[in-house]
Amino acid sequence: MSTLIIGLSLSFLLFLLSAGLTLIFGMLGVINFAHGALYMLGAYVSYQIVQITGSFWLGLLFAPLIVAALGALIEIVALKRVYSRDHIFQLLLTFGLILVIDDATKLIWGFDYKQVPTPEMLTAPVALFGSQIPSYRLFVIAFGALVSLGLFLLLDRSKWGMIIRAASSDADMARTLGIDVNQVRTGVFALGSFLAALGGAITAPLVPIELGMGFSVIIDCFVVVIIGGLGNIRGAIFASLLLGMTRAVGFTYATEWVELLTFALLIGTLMFRPEGLFSYKGRSA
Amino acid sequence: MTLLALESCDVFYDKAQALHKVSLGVEANEVVSLIGRNGAGKSTILKTLIGLNRAASGRRLWKGDDVTALRADQLGRLGIAYVPEDRRIFPNLSVEENLRIATLMGRQGGWNLARVYDLFPVLRERSAQPGDTLSGGEQQMLAISRGLLTNPEVLLLDEPTEGLAPLIVDQLVEAMRLINAEGMALLLVEQNLRVPMKLAHRQYVIDHGAIRWSGTTADLQVNRAEIEKLISV
Repeated sequence: MSTLIIGLSLSFLLFLLSAGLTLIFGMLGVINFAHGALYMLGAYVSYQIVQITGSFWLGLLFAPLIVAALGALIEIVALKRVYSRDHIFQLLLTFGLILVIDDATKLIWGFDYKQVPTPEMLTAPVALFGSQIPSYRLFVIAFGALVSLGLFLLLDRSKWGMIIRAASSDADMARTLGIDVNQVRTGVFALGSFLAALGGAITAPLVPIELGMGFSVIIDCFVVVIIGGLGNIRGAIFASLLLGMTRAVGFTYATEWVELLTFALLIGTLMFRPEGLFSYKGRSA
Repeated sequence: MTLLALESCDVFYDKAQALHKVSLGVEANEVVSLIGRNGAGKSTILKTLIGLNRAASGRRLWKGDDVTALRADQLGRLGIAYVPEDRRIFPNLSVEENLRIATLMGRQGGWNLARVYDLFPVLRERSAQPGDTLSGGEQQMLAISRGLLTNPEVLLLDEPTEGLAPLIVDQLVEAMRLINAEGMALLLVEQNLRVPMKLAHRQYVIDHGAIRWSGTTADLQVNRAEIEKLISV
C-alpha cells in the first residue's frame, strides 16, 4: 500500500515538472535544461518564505509566483534572442542558466542543507487499508491531482489554452489572427517555471533542500517527456505514472535495478517509438 | 481609397531575390487577383502584405499610412485576414475552436459564428471534430470562415480553389461573391484564369517575382492570348 502511495506522489511530482518542460518545448521549441534549477529555486524560495513567515502555505503559494516572474524575465531577456538560432545555442543558453542559478543560490543560501518542516496539520500518519501512511504524502497526491486537473482544464477548455494550442502548432498562422505570439511564449515559459517551482515547494518537506536536487530530478523528467512524446502533455501524465510507479515498485523490491529499469524504458522508447509511447496525431499542446 | 498596398518591395529568401520592386494595391470593396505560374512569387506577395515576410526595401501601406514596421498580429488587428495556400487549419483545435480563435481579436462587423455556419452548413455538422479530420474542401471552407470571423476589411486568399472538385469550387466562388457583395475587399491568388475571370475587377500577372501586366478584367479579355502565355507552364 505504501508503495502505491509513494509511487503516486512521485508520479504527480514528476508530472508537475515534466508538464512544464513539455509545454515549453511544444510552444518554444526549446529544451529547457534549466527546468531543474527552477525546481530547486522553488524549494529554496519556499524555504525562505517559511523562515520569514512561519507558514508552509504562504511558501507554497508565493514561491511558484516568484519563480514564474523570474521565468518571464529570463524568457524576455535571454531566450527570446535565440529562438531563430540553431538548437545548440538554446541548449548552451539554458545550460548556462543552470550555472547562474546554482551560483546565485550558493551566494544567497550557502552550501548547507535546508529543511522545510512538514506543516503541522499533515504530520500525523493516516491508517489506510491496514498501513500507516504519512498524511503529507496523501496531500501531495491530492494536490498534484488537483493541479493536473486544473492544467488540463486550462489547456482544453479555456481561451488561454486554445491560444496556447494554436500558437504551438502554427505560430505564424496564429499571428495573422491577431495573437501576439511573443507574449504567449513569455506566458508559457512563466507557466512552466511556475509548475517547476510548485514541484519544488511541495517537495521541500520531503527531501533535504540542496544544490544538486534539480539535477537528479531533471533526468527523470527528460525520461518522462521522451516516453510521453515531446510536446505531448497527455503523454506526459501517463509517462509520469508509468515512471513513478516503476520507481516506487523498484525501490521496494529491487533497489539496485531502479536506474537500469528507468533507462531501459527510455532507450526502448527511443529505439522503437521515438515519437513517444503515448503520441497520437496532432499534439495537444 | 486604397486599403492595402505594397510600394516598390524587394523580398529575399536568404540570398535569393523572390520579389523585384513589386507595387500593387487593393481598393475598398474590390476583388483583385494575382495570377501567375507556380513559384512566380504570388504567395510571397501575400505573405509580405500580412507581415509574415519582411521586405528588404519598399513600403507597406494601410489606407495611406506607412505600416511597414508592423508585425503580422498588428496587421491582423488592423483588418487584414489571410487564408493560406495549405489552409493551415490548427489540427489540435476543434472546428469550432478554429473559428472561435478568430473572434478573440474582437473586431466588430457583420460576420459571426452563426452566419459562417449558414454560409457553410457542413462546418456546423463538424463543429466538434478536430480541425484536421475535414476533407480538403471542408478545410478550405474552414480557413475562409476563420478569416471572415476576424471581420477584416480585406481578405487575402491564396489559391482557395486549388485541387478541389468542380462542385466545391462553384460553392466557394459563390461564397466569395457573397462576401465581396457585403463590402469586403478580396485579394485572390490563382494559377489560372478560371476563377479570377468570374470574380475579379482587376488583375495583376506575376512572373519571376515581378508584375508583368496589370489591368481590368475587360482589358485582360482583350489581351487574353498574351496573358495565357505568361502564366502557362
